[in-house]
Amino acid sequence: MAEHFPTLSQTAIVATALKVLLWPAYKSTDFEVHRNWLALTHSLPMKEWYFEKTSEWTLDYPPFFAYFEWLLSQAAKYADVAMLQVNNLNYDSWQTVYFQRTTVIVTELVLLYALYLFIQTSTLASKKQAHAAALAIFLSPGLLIIDHIHFQYNGAMYGLLILSVILARKQSGLLASGLVFATLLCLKHIYSYLAPAYVVFLLRTYCMGPKSIFHIKFFNCIKLGLGIAGILGLAFGPFAYYDQILQVLSRLFPFARGLCHAYWAPNMWALYSFADRVLIYAAPYLKLPVDSRAIDSVTRGLVGDTSFAVLPEITPRMTFLLTLASQIPSLIKLFFQPTWDNFVATLTLCGYASFLWGWHVHEKAILLVIIPFGLIALKDRRYLGAFRPLAVAGHVSLFPLLFTANEFPIKVVYTVFWLITVLFAFDRLAHAPDQPRVFLLDRFSILYIAVAIPLIAYCSLVHQLVFGAKYEFLPLMFISTYSAVGVVLSWIGFSVVFVKS
Amino acid sequence: MAPPSSHRPRKKRAGASSPAIGTTIIDSSTKRESPAFPLAAFFWPAKGHPVSQWVILPCILMIAFLFRWATSLWGYSGLQNPPMHGDFEAQRHWMELTTNLPVTHWYFHDLQWWGLDYPPLTAYHSWILGFIGAAINPEWFALYRSRGLDALDLKIFMRATVVVSEYLIYVPAAVQIVRRLAKHQSINPWDFSIAVAAILLQPATILIDHGHFQYNTVMNGFVLASMASMVAGRPLWSCVYFVAALGFKQMALFFAPAVAAYLAGICFFPKVKPLRLVGIAIITVLSFVVLFLPLVLGTAFDTHRNIKLPSSAVLPPLLSTLPVEVSPNAFYYPYLVQLVQAIHRIFPFARGLFEDKVANVWCAIHSSGLHKLNNYPSDLLSKAALALTLTSIMPPCLLIFFKPRKELIPLAFATTAWGFFMCSYQVHEKNVLLPLLPMTVLLATDTGMKPSTRAWVGFANVLACWTLFPLLVRDELRVPYFVLTFLWAYLMGLPPTSLDIYLTPANQGGPALFTKIVHLPIYLAMIAWHVVEAFVLPPTNKPDLWVVANVCLGAAGFGMCYLWCLWRLVEESGILGNARKTTDAVKKTQ
Repeated sequence: MAEHFPTLSQTAIVATALKVLLWPAYKSTDFEVHRNWLALTHSLPMKEWYFEKTSEWTLDYPPFFAYFEWLLSQAAKYADVAMLQVNNLNYDSWQTVYFQRTTVIVTELVLLYALYLFIQTSTLASKKQAHAAALAIFLSPGLLIIDHIHFQYNGAMYGLLILSVILARKQSGLLASGLVFATLLCLKHIYSYLAPAYVVFLLRTYCMGPKSIFHIKFFNCIKLGLGIAGILGLAFGPFAYYDQILQVLSRLFPFARGLCHAYWAPNMWALYSFADRVLIYAAPYLKLPVDSRAIDSVTRGLVGDTSFAVLPEITPRMTFLLTLASQIPSLIKLFFQPTWDNFVATLTLCGYASFLWGWHVHEKAILLVIIPFGLIALKDRRYLGAFRPLAVAGHVSLFPLLFTANEFPIKVVYTVFWLITVLFAFDRLAHAPDQPRVFLLDRFSILYIAVAIPLIAYCSLVHQLVFGAKYEFLPLMFISTYSAVGVVLSWIGFSVVFVKS
Repeated sequence: MAPPSSHRPRKKRAGASSPAIGTTIIDSSTKRESPAFPLAAFFWPAKGHPVSQWVILPCILMIAFLFRWATSLWGYSGLQNPPMHGDFEAQRHWMELTTNLPVTHWYFHDLQWWGLDYPPLTAYHSWILGFIGAAINPEWFALYRSRGLDALDLKIFMRATVVVSEYLIYVPAAVQIVRRLAKHQSINPWDFSIAVAAILLQPATILIDHGHFQYNTVMNGFVLASMASMVAGRPLWSCVYFVAALGFKQMALFFAPAVAAYLAGICFFPKVKPLRLVGIAIITVLSFVVLFLPLVLGTAFDTHRNIKLPSSAVLPPLLSTLPVEVSPNAFYYPYLVQLVQAIHRIFPFARGLFEDKVANVWCAIHSSGLHKLNNYPSDLLSKAALALTLTSIMPPCLLIFFKPRKELIPLAFATTAWGFFMCSYQVHEKNVLLPLLPMTVLLATDTGMKPSTRAWVGFANVLACWTLFPLLVRDELRVPYFVLTFLWAYLMGLPPTSLDIYLTPANQGGPALFTKIVHLPIYLAMIAWHVVEAFVLPPTNKPDLWVVANVCLGAAGFGMCYLWCLWRLVEESGILGNARKTTDAVKKTQ
């Protein structure tokens, strides 16, 4: 069997070298969030975990993540005991930084292993493509920016997601796939956005016979049900025992937040807000009523803020219904054609739907789309056509996460490097499609990518020179509107490809 | 920027599958080709179906940039280390003084606080950077008030100036030298890319310039440009670039004998070309004139404005030792004072034989306790140093003079620079970057990536980083040191990450037994040293014991590098009548 170079491990070694060098880089409040969780899981009894509020960064991840932090804290005490004190707010000795940054790098091995399995389980004909996709995912600028600079554990989480997706490739792995996904949900509940695809796929392939949907495999249903119940029991059992389930849920789902996050994630609501902003100026000519309280609200998405001046308000229920509605067509297709490729495509579309229509979506959630899509972007050129604007838009939309001068060159150069190498390599590796293409996304994406350069230059440099600290929302609005256009168009393009194939 | 390589006529020899340079190995049983070391693996996708240099080169430059910028996030020399701080403060201070003071004060201003002691090009460079920086934030370079400043935005600005200077000078020059060598020796574009990446990721350069903080790459870039011009057959340009290198840092003198010998050599061999000799002489003199011209013009302006020297100024002692009596009223007196003071500052004859702890002959002899040198008068020592240096550089210079062949240039440069580093007077541990430069360029020659050469180039680089370790620890650069050194060793397939090179049989291009006997114990000793240094305290009466051990081992290893370069130079020049080599070389020069 021919080996492909550079191998996954070679790439991982070089990438790790860069990640270690980035240890002293900027770290967001998420660093303190995770330090606080280390401290509180280590020093408090379990029944106080979801009540503790010394720090404003209370525990708002599901219990498995708390267990994970507890595990890490067992090692953390050898690095620096002081980081494990709940009252030691904003503590960041170099031992703490080195330790926490190291845990991110080490836990990313899960992703590496999942990608290794992905290559191993690919057919011989598509191994080269799988190899390229695996490298692209491992080197994703999203993970570098969010995990290794901003600070989070997405590498491990997406590793589990991919592991679960890969397990679903074989009939024998379906149960394990479902259980791994359940575990993932108990680590970080954002992945529940992808749950509909899992439900449909497992229901159809594991709980029903391949020939008829009326041929129900009861034994499989019981195994899956018991397995999921067991995992949920392990996670939430202790808190149910202490009668804290409502408290835990209130921490996990804080509905008091606004529609848009402080930075607008590049989704439909960013376009909606942008349209609203434009309409404020157009309203007098169109004779539309304007809500004067909303005009001054620059930082939208804060609790209790009036969000829209001209357009109608959006409620959480509406976003929920819209999300579900936009997921349904692909779910139906998956139900009738439950292949693995369709499963991954549906996962991607579920990610798209929840990202585009969801309530209080964070821009980091774009990885929910990019990473599953990465697995199938090389299926043929039509998929790649939809992937290109997403790759550009998704990563550019992460730029506002890092606003410090020191990290600016890193995020830009790394992302440009990744886009050049990945898009160039993908372009060579993607096959021509079986069916004729219907969408002219290729032409569009060249134009779209070209616009990114002046946009980034304006937002990071020109704006400051011209306006100074005034109109700070303007660059953010441009970036998220620009990115939203890309994400939306790639969503439409991909939906068309998926439905037609 | 030169046109892309696709404009070159294709050569039959440069088939993409030819493993001549040693970047690939072919499995003897399956006949399958695979990369010989990880760096080659990263270029594998571009093999077979070539990718335009316009895609590959920017990618290499971006990766090189990322590692540089990430290193620059760490500490620097003198960070929060009053009263004197370190090289960072020195460079910042020069920007402060050149932008705020009249030109005549540059070499006289408060010499106790990092007085300017580099040649004029450094001063002009500082002036430009200081000018730009002051436009961003005048406080960074405010006279006196800005001393010892360590604000984060200042650090970012200073780090950015290093990167920009490097990308304007060193990087194009490195690409040029590799391109010229590739053209001269018919190396295919794929191997060319690998060589560029290997040279740009060289750890010692990144650690010193982007970690410790200096602008060595500006000088090294001019040296590379000078070498590239020689290989390209443009000796006059090589003079200009070399004067620029000398004008930026006097350490470029390490290469001066080799440059002079080669340039003289091409005027006499294979046939005498007096016009070329005259041209070289004129251009060199003109370049020096241009180099000092701004200083002279500034002096004229200050004389015109009647600006006096600072009250604390002491006239250079050199001035009184001039053979002719100079009247202070002569019109040329101020110019003479400036030039003599610049030279006095640049060549500090009054300093010691070696500075701090450096892995050369003198420091090793002295600090190992073999023979204490501080009992000798310093002029005797400097004479001894001069004699030993001359002895060590004589062979390579004579060789390159009598055989001025392009493919010998990197070896001749490396041998001469090693000779200087090992034997000369007033050497810093950072000066090891100079011999490393041409030594690393060997990777771009037609046997450069073969295990026998790669072993030595790698050995010199790893050893050099290791001798810099005590310095880097003081700058809080321990982590970048380990990361960058390991990374480069890994990419080039060197110990401690891989023993592949040393397991290659000699008949397949593997290193000779002698190489193994020298390298492997030293690699082991370096690892052992790190373990001891990390976990064992030195005895109280010998607090410097670990550093001394480092210096002695380093000196031994560098001595071996000198000998190897000299041996290779002798071998390649063909004076021993080595049949295979000479026929090869003849073929190449045709």
